[in-house]
Amino acid sequence: MAERTFSVSLVTPEGAAFEGEVEMLVVPGADGEIGVLARHAPLVALLKAGSTRVYKDRSTEDVLEFATGPGFFKVEQDRALALVDDAVDARHVDDERARKQLEDAQAELERVERGESDADRWQLEQRIRHAENQLTVVGRA
Amino acid sequence: MATLQDIKRRIRSVGNTRKITKAMELVAAARLRRAEERIVQLRDYADRMQELTAGTARAASSLRGLTLLQEREPRRVAIVALTGDRGLAGAFNGQILRRAFALERSLRSEGREVRWLVVGRKGRSTLRFRRYEVEQAWTGFTDRPGYRDAQAVAHRLAELYGEDEIDRAVLVYNHYVSPLVQRVTEQQVLPISEEVLGREEDEEEHERALMGDFIYEPEPEQILERLLPVYLETEVYRALLESAASEHGARMTAMRNASKNAVELIDSLTLDLNRARQAEITQEILEVVAGADALTQ
Repeated sequence: MAERTFSVSLVTPEGAAFEGEVEMLVVPGADGEIGVLARHAPLVALLKAGSTRVYKDRSTEDVLEFATGPGFFKVEQDRALALVDDAVDARHVDDERARKQLEDAQAELERVERGESDADRWQLEQRIRHAENQLTVVGRA
Repeated sequence: MATLQDIKRRIRSVGNTRKITKAMELVAAARLRRAEERIVQLRDYADRMQELTAGTARAASSLRGLTLLQEREPRRVAIVALTGDRGLAGAFNGQILRRAFALERSLRSEGREVRWLVVGRKGRSTLRFRRYEVEQAWTGFTDRPGYRDAQAVAHRLAELYGEDEIDRAVLVYNHYVSPLVQRVTEQQVLPISEEVLGREEDEEEHERALMGDFIYEPEPEQILERLLPVYLETEVYRALLESAASEHGARMTAMRNASKNAVELIDSLTLDLNRARQAEITQEILEVVAGADALTQ
């Protein structure tokens, strides 16, 4: 018998990354991963950057993985909502590109530190974190 | 009077200009459509974020200690002008800056200090030309702003606010109404107004919140501390997107007018060309007739 499903939305400011019925959801909570099944108690939590996994069907291993940025998580009455600043489908992560982005951002940050560039330091750090996160998630997938 | 050659050359040159303005119009129209889509996509996220913020604020026992909510005597005000990176968009950039300077004058007359932050090359170069001290400028993304760009701006504002460098932050940007109508708007983004938290919510909403009885991980106060900066990011992102849509709309209109003018100019030049050609033919006939007359006499 198929497991009970519940609805999940993974939403970013640039549009929804995933919406649908799933059997299980695992998100990177600030204090460790949070796994959610149907009929979970209402919950609000903080998310850190990491891997979000959506189990559409656990018996056939139909799983989607996303590299997600920091955000918020809310569960209510068989509805889970993850609001994150960024979500990239692990299948679409381009190793080469992520690595290049990482190196570019690190090089730019060094220039800022030597006072040769006035780029936004905080933004560069975010970009580095984002690229690293993508690479980590892919490394595990 | 201009020779036939000159007029022909001018017609060709105006024709080429028309091709360019027409192409820019089409590009602006396509980008405008994309910018509109992104505004719609953001709405989904922003609405849910707002709902979450309001719910968490209701669960929190106290809102004190949240810096971004603290109302202070506004001695130093940050003006953030959202302009474009490029010109050829009619009065788009000029309008924003004019409004920003007017705001600055009125703030100064009230004895307040003004700090400038600016988005877009056009705004930055105008402020530099006028020898204003610019706290920070962001450029290179105005025609297609990403959420990351908004995060950078919001982060800087929150930082200045947290360090007591500014007591209030105001965005000056073009509010997008329709492709033809944009309205220059001033929007205070810091301190965040408590209305956002929806504390004076209606009863039904309140009942639902009580029924929910959420587990908060960590405490609601701590979650709120993270939610407020994100709310600021969302507001800045929305303003950036609206500004981008307005810029494309303004450019589309400006380029459509330019193309129309070019067509009119070509028409009137063609008329001149025909008149000049006919005058030349008449002149030649007169000469032939006069020559023939001279021979018969």
